[in-house]
Amino acid sequence: MHEPVLSLENVSKKYGSFTAVDGIDLQIPRGAVYGFLGPNGAGKTTTMRMILDIIRPSSGRIAILGHQSALEVRDRIGYLPEEKGLYKKMKVTALISYFACLKGIARKEAEQRAEHLLEKYGLKDFRSARIESLSKGMSQKVQVLAAVAHDPELVILDEPFSGLDPVNQQVLEELINNLSANGQTVIFSTHIMEHAERLCDQILLIAEGRKVFDGTVPEARALVARRILLETTSDVSGLQNLDSVAGVTASESEPGADPRWLVEITNKAHPQDILKYCFDQDIPLNRFEFAEPSLHDVFVGLVGKDAREQRLR
Amino acid sequence: MSVIRLIAWREYVENVRTKGFWIGILLLPLMVVGIYLIQSTLAESTPTRYYMLVDQNGQYRETVESAIELEHQRQVLQSFVNYLLDYRKEGDLELTAANARSSADQLVDDVGADEVTALNQWIESGGLDFALTMSTPYLREDAPAFESPERSFIEAPLPDEVDPTAASQLVVEQLRPYLSGERRVSVDGNSGELFALILIPKDINDHILRPGAMPVAGQAQTGGVQYWGRNLADPRLPDAIERSLNNRIRNEEFARNSVNTDLIRNIQRTRLSLNKLDPLANEGEEAVSMADTFRQFAPMAFVYFMFLALMQSVQYLLTNTIEEKSNRILEVLLASVTPNELLMGKMLGIGLSSLTTMAAWLLTLFLFLNFYQSAETSTLVQIIGIILSSDLVPWFVFYCLAGYALYAGIFLAIGSLCNTLKEAQGMMVPIIVTMMIPITITPFVVMDPNGSLFRALSWFPPFTPFLMMNRAAANPPLIDLLGTTVLLLMSILLVMWLSGRVFRQGLLRSGQPPRVMELLHMMRSNSQ
Repeated sequence: MHEPVLSLENVSKKYGSFTAVDGIDLQIPRGAVYGFLGPNGAGKTTTMRMILDIIRPSSGRIAILGHQSALEVRDRIGYLPEEKGLYKKMKVTALISYFACLKGIARKEAEQRAEHLLEKYGLKDFRSARIESLSKGMSQKVQVLAAVAHDPELVILDEPFSGLDPVNQQVLEELINNLSANGQTVIFSTHIMEHAERLCDQILLIAEGRKVFDGTVPEARALVARRILLETTSDVSGLQNLDSVAGVTASESEPGADPRWLVEITNKAHPQDILKYCFDQDIPLNRFEFAEPSLHDVFVGLVGKDAREQRLR
Repeated sequence: MSVIRLIAWREYVENVRTKGFWIGILLLPLMVVGIYLIQSTLAESTPTRYYMLVDQNGQYRETVESAIELEHQRQVLQSFVNYLLDYRKEGDLELTAANARSSADQLVDDVGADEVTALNQWIESGGLDFALTMSTPYLREDAPAFESPERSFIEAPLPDEVDPTAASQLVVEQLRPYLSGERRVSVDGNSGELFALILIPKDINDHILRPGAMPVAGQAQTGGVQYWGRNLADPRLPDAIERSLNNRIRNEEFARNSVNTDLIRNIQRTRLSLNKLDPLANEGEEAVSMADTFRQFAPMAFVYFMFLALMQSVQYLLTNTIEEKSNRILEVLLASVTPNELLMGKMLGIGLSSLTTMAAWLLTLFLFLNFYQSAETSTLVQIIGIILSSDLVPWFVFYCLAGYALYAGIFLAIGSLCNTLKEAQGMMVPIIVTMMIPITITPFVVMDPNGSLFRALSWFPPFTPFLMMNRAAANPPLIDLLGTTVLLLMSILLVMWLSGRVFRQGLLRSGQPPRVMELLHMMRSNSQ
């Protein structure tokens, strides 16, 4: 395997007595699409700022594209910060090419790339509009394009989906997939699980500055129990005796409908086993539902309690 | 380096594209030209004033009339001198009394030196007719004919119903409607308001005030010549009348005491000229001209211009940083450039915008002076020529740039700490006050450029650019020159270094601007 694009070793950031990020270890391979997931205030933005060397870690080591500091390789990195903002008076093409120029692209080339990107992602009618005339979502799209116009090896997007309508969220997903197909590494943070689920090869789950999980999406799913929903009038307590069943609990049923049960099955078990048991025991089923756990379940399962109880920063 | 250039260029282009930039460029010249035009139009368009003269004594009518004629001649003389200044060949401020060349120049010089004497000479030698003949050879070929100003004061006849020999109170009473503006007077078909009534009582001679005699209480107000007029702002008429009446009675006193008045007059006109000489000038060139005087005052002009340049860039320095901060642009920028590159780029770009404004102002001035020719503008052209030919220009360039570098760093740092201009204003006050101190003492520094107080103050780096510029024409001691320059350059580096730190930390700050202690902490610490 190649040397990782980015590695964090025990990185922490303290503001006085408050610990924003606490001992995070991380390795991101080249070409990956990597999701930072976590509740508000978990330390995602602080971690990204430290990766970019906009702020310095209190302790720990960061290696990025083979260098100590992102500032040394800043031309090879693209960044969309959490708080979006652009020069209001500038025109769209000029703005995208200005940011590309700051990353070392020649002016002519930068303008061509800007035009190309605007056309590709459905903004070509706005190429000579001023930023102040754009809607919030549209200017956010412009800012994403400005972050990637110089073809960076590593793209870091902080909450890129927030504030976008479903259509534009899809456009952004397409853009991230294109970057990935192009061999570029993408790190983005979000709290919308569906995006992470669809896009990410790997995810980092953090809460209160600490790493809760780091790995592939299937690995994450394995962390939470797999459940089958049954709807029947019969007695299902016998299921508990099966090896593949970890537990059976009654679930809330809809008014007027039959009782519902949640059957938790082990990692190795197959849903087929449960169906077969019901068949053998003549248990009439009105409903049999099995779904792999979503990242949403993982998220809620791992950090749900923390996320509810907001701490004072 | 190219990143700094890129930032500077964007900063410049975006500034130049704003409406505010062009308003700033146009406003000052428009204001200056506007004020100048309004003033000169007003000065030329003083309306004709009608007066009535009631001389119950009978002796003084002629005196008052000649006073008014004298006032008119004074105006003719003044406007003739302006005409000469406009159209004589090779008008030149380098003139001293010793090298005055033509009699036209001589006249200009005389009027400048002593207007009263010059006016007497003017009338004696034949007034305008003579002056025109005398000066024609010295006028440029394209000079238009001289237009004599119209009379400002014209006597209006008494209305028929007024008896001039009646008691003075009655006369005044009858004329009151005219004096209050209710009724208008008419002279030669033109009608107008009565400007003043001059009433000389029959017993005027009994009220002459003499030294030694105790004036009777109240007599000074009522016993003398009565000048009735509502307009107190135009003093020319009462002053002229008072002057010539007094001349008249003094001459009579001379005569009564058998003093030869011609002799007195000649004696009064005897004068010695005071020649200002420059001990540092070469032999034969010691005489001090107007130009030499201007050269000494020139640093003041540079100091004020420098202050103006700095103050107008302050606005850009603050608003641009605040815009980036409040619009959350800085974080993206910081992922692309270092805070110091950003600081330098902004300083350069905004400096360039200010230079453009300055250049535009100077260009406007140049155009104005070239296309609007008058005595004032041609004098101004010469003054500017003198200032530019002095060796002060390099000093100005150096201190202007140094001053900008010193203050721009501070203002950018302030901008990086504030989300709104309002927040910034509180932090700016101490800096602006510091800048104002050397500006307010500028006129005193010119009078005593190497005084020990000003020498000491020059060593305080925030004052150095202004004070050393101010002292530049007076050959300040070498130790002051070198010492303050070294100190100034070191302060610039220090300010840039500290501002870089505050800038770096201020950029990502949100919320209220920091307190003083927090600010000091920012300067000390390197990381966030």
